[in-house]
Amino acid sequence: MIGFLRLMAFWAVFAGVAYWLLLIYSRSLRREALEKEWDADPPPDATDDGRSAFIAQGMADYEGSLRRKLLWGVIVLPFIAIGTLLYLVNYA
Amino acid sequence: MRYFKWAFVATILLIFGSFLHYTLPQHDIVRIVGTYQERQELRDWTRIFWSRPDDQSATITSRDVQFIQSVRPDGKPMVYRNEDTAWSWPPYFKFDTASLQTEADDLKSTVEAPKWAVVTHYGWRNELISIFPNAVAVYPVASADVTIVPWFNIFFFVFMGLVFLLLWRMWAQFRERTIDPALEDVGEVWDSVDARADAARDRAMGTWARFRSWLGTWQAKPRK
Repeated sequence: MIGFLRLMAFWAVFAGVAYWLLLIYSRSLRREALEKEWDADPPPDATDDGRSAFIAQGMADYEGSLRRKLLWGVIVLPFIAIGTLLYLVNYA
Repeated sequence: MRYFKWAFVATILLIFGSFLHYTLPQHDIVRIVGTYQERQELRDWTRIFWSRPDDQSATITSRDVQFIQSVRPDGKPMVYRNEDTAWSWPPYFKFDTASLQTEADDLKSTVEAPKWAVVTHYGWRNELISIFPNAVAVYPVASADVTIVPWFNIFFFVFMGLVFLLLWRMWAQFRERTIDPALEDVGEVWDSVDARADAARDRAMGTWARFRSWLGTWQAKPRK
């Protein structure tokens, strides 16, 4: 029982750090893509404020996107891996 | 210094490689000849080569361990321990020790009528310090020369490669978007500090030159 709780504690720390790092990375990629999209083809009356608003809007869209939600897989996948291993080693 | 660096890298690789070699599953084709159970003293440093199947086994100094005796196709013996890994390291989540022992008993055969079996295991056998690989699964095969594809290890190394690739990309992204702009800022600040230092030095040199010329006034004039 203690062993199981220890495993869960390790999982919580590991998955938490991995989720956080991936979230930062994924946001950074999205922001860079938005910046490049704007800079490649800016509207004729482009302003710095317009650029900021475009990026802010893109980032807000990203927060609701499927790609952002898929990051939760980092939390869930270890459970699936543990369940699969448990089945294969003990019952298959 | 270069040799030191290489020795350091080689040591890290050796430790990491040994760790993977100990922990990842391997398959042996063997003929199972017997099983036994023996009390083991678990007080010295070789404790790390035995499992912690339950909570109390972490503090216990001796307990019974089950073993599977086998003979490889080349005639050399191989003995496995059969212990639960439970929830602890390595993460095999093995709880079926008693069932595995039964399966091993069921596959026993003689040299005259051999029944070959694949034993999946991790760990090392070393006679000097009495350590045994831990059997994880056993299943019968038709002959001693079947080919076993290590699917798990293939998957594991591909996955590990992808993780390293991801970590490298994450680091590159972080450097490009966060560290480099910060360094540029620092560079600009440093340039302005440098320019001010140059100006201050010029001023200081002026003072120094004035001081030298003042000293010069104390020197004796050359005699005519």
